[in-house]
Amino acid sequence: MSKKRISNVILQKIRGKEGDILPVLRTIPIFEGLGFNDLKKIELIVHKRTFMPDEVIFYERQPGAGMYIIKRGLIKLTKTVNEERVKISELKDGEFFGEMSLLDDYPRSAEATAVEKTEALGIFRPDLFDLIESNPKLGYKILLRLSKRLASRLRETTEMKLKEIG
Amino acid sequence: METTDFKKAWKTFEIIALIFILLSILLILYFVRELLTPFIIAFVIVFFLNPIVDYMEGEGINRTLAVVTLIILGVFVLLIIWKLIWPTLQGEVNNFKDNAPVYIDRIQAGLNRTIDLLEKNISIIPKGTLGKALQQKINGFSSGMGDVGSLIKIVKGLMTALIIIPFVVFFLLKDGRKIKKMLIAYVPNKYFETFLVLFHKIDQQISNYIRGQLIDSFIVGLLAIIGLYLSGVKYSFFMGAVLGIVNIIPFIGPLTGLVFGILLILIDTGSTVHLIKFIGVYFCIRMLDDIIVSPLALSRSVHVHTLMVIIVIMLGGFLHGILGMLLAVPLYCSIKVTFQTLYKGLIEYGNW
Repeated sequence: MSKKRISNVILQKIRGKEGDILPVLRTIPIFEGLGFNDLKKIELIVHKRTFMPDEVIFYERQPGAGMYIIKRGLIKLTKTVNEERVKISELKDGEFFGEMSLLDDYPRSAEATAVEKTEALGIFRPDLFDLIESNPKLGYKILLRLSKRLASRLRETTEMKLKEIG
Repeated sequence: METTDFKKAWKTFEIIALIFILLSILLILYFVRELLTPFIIAFVIVFFLNPIVDYMEGEGINRTLAVVTLIILGVFVLLIIWKLIWPTLQGEVNNFKDNAPVYIDRIQAGLNRTIDLLEKNISIIPKGTLGKALQQKINGFSSGMGDVGSLIKIVKGLMTALIIIPFVVFFLLKDGRKIKKMLIAYVPNKYFETFLVLFHKIDQQISNYIRGQLIDSFIVGLLAIIGLYLSGVKYSFFMGAVLGIVNIIPFIGPLTGLVFGILLILIDTGSTVHLIKFIGVYFCIRMLDDIIVSPLALSRSVHVHTLMVIIVIMLGGFLHGILGMLLAVPLYCSIKVTFQTLYKGLIEYGNW
């Protein structure tokens, strides 16, 4: 066994196992570049949820409580337009939705429904706020990444509006 | 049409079943309330210490190590306080116990004089009726007075609790978050977000209130002991400790402390100087508490109407004594917030 492998084994013993949540968290822009210890703290507030086909994850206009990351499966986002359900998009493994609800309980803008059996990781505002309060350094990192994401969303919307105006 | 009716009926049945289950749990808890005391104390300690453990963990200390360090530190601080204050406090309690028969005689003599006066001046009252009733009351009171001194009994109870409390505190501080996560995992997807927000709100209401009240009462007790000791009032440690402990109960507690202090001075020495000193110290502390201590300690606590606070505290006292009184307000707030959240999340947005 090489020295590097031995040190990796020892390190893993001390840190604990990586599990199946951390690799998923690493791919999410809000947690991008965070270290192992920070991700372990976030893992503590992650709730694993399984949704059956056609099961509603959240309803439109329901007060938002947090975001979901799709670990495995498929979900669709729909919206009521002129009293009709219109599909906005479909999201698959590794994609996430509802991150705006991490900041406030503004009503959800769309309804999320599982298309097939879906395993999702939920991160919710009350837990995140507690984490930020007790770990301000980690909180700063998360909030900065969340703000960047909101800024880029706002830029996209502004550009779209400008194009519409002509 | 029939399916909609069936769905509506099923939803109503679900609501009724839920209420029935909750009431059954409350009823069971009421019947085993005597066994609950050490657990309630442990929960109170956990609510108080949890933010400190969270902070230590945030600073990079392993949670288990943080909990162990905090418990050892807590026991150490308690032992120091015990060593410093207990001998004086015990002396005062023993003195009070020794003097109890004299105090009762004095109360009886004073009341007899008042009754004689009443019976002489108000002809409607037949002679001897009030005196007889009073004698019965006094006898009952003096047998109760024996219990006041039996602090040993309370200490014995505490010793049993001392075995349970540290274990419960240790595991709840260390694994509380995991336990909470495990419990909420059983909530169906449909209600998950609503219940998660609800649990969090309840947790915040109770922990902010308990933390605030404990800090406030500790400071009030300390100020009372110092104030009474410096002004040379007899039983300063005993009375200061009582003022601090009763301060845990809002409104009713401080008033009880005032009445207790005045009565104790009146039946002990009856000294007007001591009485003025006590009342002076009491009102200085009340002012300090209302202006500085309370706003700081209870800044994140709940806001409930005074009348409601008094009603729920009395109800809490009736159900579970002092601990019931301490938990009455946060429990009332939790029930209120439960209905508000359930209404908003489940009924108003139609996803029940």
